[in-house]
Amino acid sequence: MSAPSIKVSQPIDWTGIAFAVILTLVIVFPLLVVGTWAFTNVWRFPSVIPQEFGLKFWYQTLARADVWSSITMSLTLATTVTVLSAIICLPAAYAFARLDFPGRDILFFSFLAGHAFPKFGLLVAIAGIFLQLNLIGTFWGVVLIQLVGTLLFMIWIPVAAFQAVDRRMEEAARDVGASPLRVFWSITLPQAGPTIAAALLLSFVGTFYETEGAWLIGAPQVRTLPVLMISFINNQPVIQYGAVLSVLLWVPSFIALLFARRVVNSGSFAKGFGA
Amino acid sequence: MTTTDAGALAPAPTQRKRPIGLLLVAAPVLLVLWLIIWPIISAVIQTLWLPTPDGGRALSVSSYQFFASDPYSRANLAITLWTTGVCAIFLLIICLPIALYLRFSNSRIAAYVQGLAIFPMFVPSIILSFAFIRVLGPNGTVDLLLNSVGLPKIKSPYLTPWGPVIGLVWDNIPLTVLILLSGLGNVSNQAIEAARDVGAGRFALLRHIILPRISNSILVAISFAVLGIFSAFTLPYVLGPAAPEMMGPFMQRTFRDLFDPTNAITQAVITFGFCIVFGLFYVRSVAKNRTP
Repeated sequence: MSAPSIKVSQPIDWTGIAFAVILTLVIVFPLLVVGTWAFTNVWRFPSVIPQEFGLKFWYQTLARADVWSSITMSLTLATTVTVLSAIICLPAAYAFARLDFPGRDILFFSFLAGHAFPKFGLLVAIAGIFLQLNLIGTFWGVVLIQLVGTLLFMIWIPVAAFQAVDRRMEEAARDVGASPLRVFWSITLPQAGPTIAAALLLSFVGTFYETEGAWLIGAPQVRTLPVLMISFINNQPVIQYGAVLSVLLWVPSFIALLFARRVVNSGSFAKGFGA
Repeated sequence: MTTTDAGALAPAPTQRKRPIGLLLVAAPVLLVLWLIIWPIISAVIQTLWLPTPDGGRALSVSSYQFFASDPYSRANLAITLWTTGVCAIFLLIICLPIALYLRFSNSRIAAYVQGLAIFPMFVPSIILSFAFIRVLGPNGTVDLLLNSVGLPKIKSPYLTPWGPVIGLVWDNIPLTVLILLSGLGNVSNQAIEAARDVGAGRFALLRHIILPRISNSILVAISFAVLGIFSAFTLPYVLGPAAPEMMGPFMQRTFRDLFDPTNAITQAVITFGFCIVFGLFYVRSVAKNRTP
């Protein structure tokens, strides 16, 4: 979508302006309302703008023990799941990209199995298994269910990264006597690194926001930030607590947005979803 | 659907078969077997092979019979089918024009529109739910604005079946637009220009040139949306009515609040049944785009 190099006087893009206005109203405006609520001390009906702006509710929200414990819980869970996922998935991705072994293709596509079923139905079926294993309401139960959710991305994206590495450079390094481990460390990893980092970020952010598994398996014992947010929406009369929590909760997504925008806009991303 | 562009990957390296690869992929594959394949098989067995009063187990469809005869369960299934259908129609009506505009425009506004259309991907649905209530809920921002110009308040969609519909459509816009846009990439400019040269109008162009070429992408987008919406949990749970409820909240309540795993799993198997066609089609399309 690059601008034409020759200056042609284009007619005014009314369709584009209409889309831009409608989408701004529907997509940006609701989020601005939440942002405004978070920095509002007093906003009573029927005033169109808040009576008093301020940070009062930031102090109050951050003074709540349940907010801190769920922030800690969410960060611990997302870190544990991402690390475990990296440990089991990255060697597998390397194997899928570089080695030939019996059943390679069918095993590669087996990671799609989870996507052929409606997600919450699958979670309930898994919960049926966890019930027999006494994993309901435990930290490791939630870790397992979220770990399954990261497998597809954590294998398919790194496989593409390993396959994109220039094989001739690896072979040249081998020719001058570098050990396989040395080649992997100095040639393969630096080239595949950025894409793998993107997969790790995606898996961290995805786990951070994972609500359904955490709610079904973990609640009320394991309370993550999104789970706390649900109880704020359902039972908390002070609107600002939810608004402040929304802004806090959005931070990881904002970081992902900064890094992932280019990836998402490229055609290969949509292809990964079957387009 | 070509597989020659960015989505496709280099063919497998030609090496002799080395079983060590199996060892490296064993952990994630076993996890898939244990936590995806086995739960599905087990769910079917568990709901058909029920405990009998004398302590044994016997083949029985009584839990499915209960679902079919229970008016409340049937109402929940009906509202789920209604929500899924309405969402799919709205998604197409909203996203197809956006995707068509993005494909055939090169103005600067198009980049902004694309950015906005993708933005909901970076807004977790729980924040969306909160924003929905603050804007469209009772005494929300829309009420404030209407009140300030002397108009009556809206009939809020919050806690009605339209609540989840609005939330789910909002949430699914980015991927639907991206999938349709990717499909529109297969429509060549030459085909469009040739049709224009022979005098085809806008709608003839859409109907005879564009739609046949992107029908597969439309099906993929619909399948993806249906799989996500049919058993959606968070948005219907927070925004929807308490009764009848969609299958997601219904399964959750049956499992956790009523401590009735057998009926919850029966409901899960029923959702599998309703989505299996979409699921298989979707997975086949993803697999076609990707060679290991």
